[in-house]
Amino acid sequence: MKRATSRSAFVFLVFAAAVASAALGVSGQSGAPARATAPVHGTFVASTKNGDWPSYTGDTRGTRYSPLDQITAENFNDLEVAWRFKTDSLGTRAEYKLEGTPLVIKGVLYTTAGTRRSVIALDAVTGELLWVHRYPEGARGANAPRQLSGRGLAYWTDGRGDDRIIYFTPGYRMIALDAKTGQPVKSFGKDGVVDLKVGVVFGNNQQIDLETGEIGIHSTPVVVKNVVLVGSSMKEGMTVTTHNNTKGLARAFDARTGKLLWTFNTIPRPGEFGNETWLDNSWAINGNAGVWTQMSVDEELGLVYLPVETPTSDFYGGKRPGNNLFGESLVCVDLATGKRKWHFQFVHHPLWNDDMSSAPLIADVTIDGKPRKVVAVPSKQAWLWVFDRVTGEPIWPIVEKPVPKGDVPGEWYSPTQPHPPDALMYGRNTVTKDDLIDFTPELHAQALKQLERYRWNPGVVYTPPMVGNVSGLLGAINIGHINGGTNWPGGGYDPETRTVFVHANTSSVTSGSVAPPPPGFSDIPYQDGVVGEQFRLRQAAGTGTYADVPQRGRGAAVPAPAGRGAPPAAEAGRGGQQGRGGGEGGGGLTVQGLSILKPPYSVLAAIDLDKGAVKWRTPHGETPDAVRNHALLKGKDIPRTGQPASVGLVITKTLVVLGESQFTTTDTHPRGAMLRAYDKATGKEVGAVFMPAPQSASPMTYMANGKQYIVVAVSGGPYSGEYIAFALPNEGQ
Amino acid sequence: MNKAVILLGGVLAAGVLNTGLRAQPPRTIWDGVYTEAQAKRGEAVYFNTCVRCHGPQLMGGNDGAGPLIGPTFNGNWNGVPLGQMVDRMRATMPQDKPSTLTRQQTADVLTYILSVNKVPAGKTELPRQVDILNTITFKASK
Repeated sequence: MKRATSRSAFVFLVFAAAVASAALGVSGQSGAPARATAPVHGTFVASTKNGDWPSYTGDTRGTRYSPLDQITAENFNDLEVAWRFKTDSLGTRAEYKLEGTPLVIKGVLYTTAGTRRSVIALDAVTGELLWVHRYPEGARGANAPRQLSGRGLAYWTDGRGDDRIIYFTPGYRMIALDAKTGQPVKSFGKDGVVDLKVGVVFGNNQQIDLETGEIGIHSTPVVVKNVVLVGSSMKEGMTVTTHNNTKGLARAFDARTGKLLWTFNTIPRPGEFGNETWLDNSWAINGNAGVWTQMSVDEELGLVYLPVETPTSDFYGGKRPGNNLFGESLVCVDLATGKRKWHFQFVHHPLWNDDMSSAPLIADVTIDGKPRKVVAVPSKQAWLWVFDRVTGEPIWPIVEKPVPKGDVPGEWYSPTQPHPPDALMYGRNTVTKDDLIDFTPELHAQALKQLERYRWNPGVVYTPPMVGNVSGLLGAINIGHINGGTNWPGGGYDPETRTVFVHANTSSVTSGSVAPPPPGFSDIPYQDGVVGEQFRLRQAAGTGTYADVPQRGRGAAVPAPAGRGAPPAAEAGRGGQQGRGGGEGGGGLTVQGLSILKPPYSVLAAIDLDKGAVKWRTPHGETPDAVRNHALLKGKDIPRTGQPASVGLVITKTLVVLGESQFTTTDTHPRGAMLRAYDKATGKEVGAVFMPAPQSASPMTYMANGKQYIVVAVSGGPYSGEYIAFALPNEGQ
Repeated sequence: MNKAVILLGGVLAAGVLNTGLRAQPPRTIWDGVYTEAQAKRGEAVYFNTCVRCHGPQLMGGNDGAGPLIGPTFNGNWNGVPLGQMVDRMRATMPQDKPSTLTRQQTADVLTYILSVNKVPAGKTELPRQVDILNTITFKASK
């Protein structure tokens, strides 16, 4: 009943907003609930300590930790759905990849949702819609390299009643809203809007086009003191039309006015530190090296940690000889000035798409009896990289080791790459014979046979991409890159036990291969592909689903996205994709439809940050139906395998909570996925509750009206995006 | 109004009204829910639009394009009403141009996928209307 009322109001709001073509705040018009009052001012500080969740990762230190303790091992299984919010109508079509983690400040929940990336405020107790904001961007949104509804938003307050929600649109605008009404804050930027494309450049400092220029972002603003930190993200870098695309940058803006405070160039210009690592002046003709994942800040020290991604292109760097700072580096800059303090490059001359994927974790630990201020970074390689966060010195030795040289024409190779200690490897980042599927001797033998078609260096982390050919070797075997280890959901840090908790995909084995793209497609001679296979354009998830992208059978709101670099139409033919694809018994990197690797397919790991060692690991996620019900495995007792993905988590006083990434149908539950709780000390699973679809974003927790809630976004398969809030039942119910 | 008339006309012309809207017990994909001719049409669409990512043998790619055949595919969709499958296909596929296939083309592609998965054809075409498709469930096996 309550839900029906809420939906009706919601439908009305969206309709009204469409008419107004602007943000619409209705808080108060229909009697906002008493508990949804404005934040208390004066002494009030929004904090996880007070039961709020005021920043994407709970705080700006990346921790995802809240000290709440009402939900425990003893009662986790009693959790019920307190409310749910379906996001379908926030846009012109449903979204199937909802990645938002909401904020909660004083009983009001704020988040992004829907294919327009609208902003909503909900009563955190009931889920009732309080206001909705939408900002139609037309072709600019339809051209965005990062569509989807984004990972959420940020909160700023002056402590005296000026409370703001700040978010990024798909078209790379930054908008500040009055947290009470959802109306744009007129004094911020121009009528509440800052055009973030202004000042973004390509080539030798040429401004990108404001409408079609390539830049966007999924991650959220980071607000610390009166500063808003802004990252950058470009198109997927596997198949791109030019190496000379938009240059990455991180910027800081004044949270009151929207005025630019500083810019840090991730591709250093002449005179800037690191410019010489772009040989032959190649800095001037290369782009990307964005900062697409969440930044972290040590507010006390005034230091910002920038996780930087790969320069263009992901698998071929022949146009950018040199180590290419600050590609795939962690860069520490001064919060006040943006000046570099130190950096560490994780991969020299990146060729494996080892973007810095995770929010850096700010931790105060005790090592050999001494207090140390460190920053720890989970990674796609499933290494935890740990540094003194003031000086940048590695806490535990990181060794430069020789790596195999590749043979792609025109490529430039670094002879060595940094390797952290084995004790800090929490997933799987090499493939040896012992890692191969071994459910039966026959399957193991088949895996070995199939691997004869690849360049495989057992035990090596970095085997460079090669020119694969359907008539010869198909590619270079790697794991712990592209989608391996820990991706954008990142990990978390428990300050009480000084432990990092992080989930890692341990089954993302890939075949690294490049091939010439179709003539005229790109100025890069080799791109992701295999000689003899049909070329395939690789795009970011959600591309083409923005609300203003035309749909067949509906009125077209805007022209189709600019076709710059659109690949030639697919040839009608049946060649290709025989080697690198999935394969249900047909070769490639699966064997009879099963992963070529043996389980676990993913693990939740706990890493003791005082000692620099993995404390425990446990497979996370029910064994996939495809394995449990596989004809060749009938009668076999297979321990839980985990599910191949990287998922986010939330840490509470006693629990680590994270959901599954796949649908399963088991004897104990219908088709759906489980939200699971683990004991922090032992890794033992202590509870699980049913969700109708997989978790698709990191969960969060908060306290409202005396109750602890856990909110998680679910979506996937045929299930469109929905936020679900879990809480314990009222006494007597 | 006009659209409704046209739609109804289309439904009648396709003969779907007799098969799809009549009260009947719940059906699964194993009840002969498409025709061979329809799967042929779907095959043409598949090889024009879907093959680049999902491959000629429907095995998918190693980067996220899921297999459309075999145990993983069955595991992904077992128990799902076909209307939900088609909605998802339309909203997100093809990945470079979502929502550009018609409902008829989407339903046709689905029948081609069913045929490759050795789901037997029947005498009536799979309808394209979501609410009717939702009365038919994807089952991994009979």
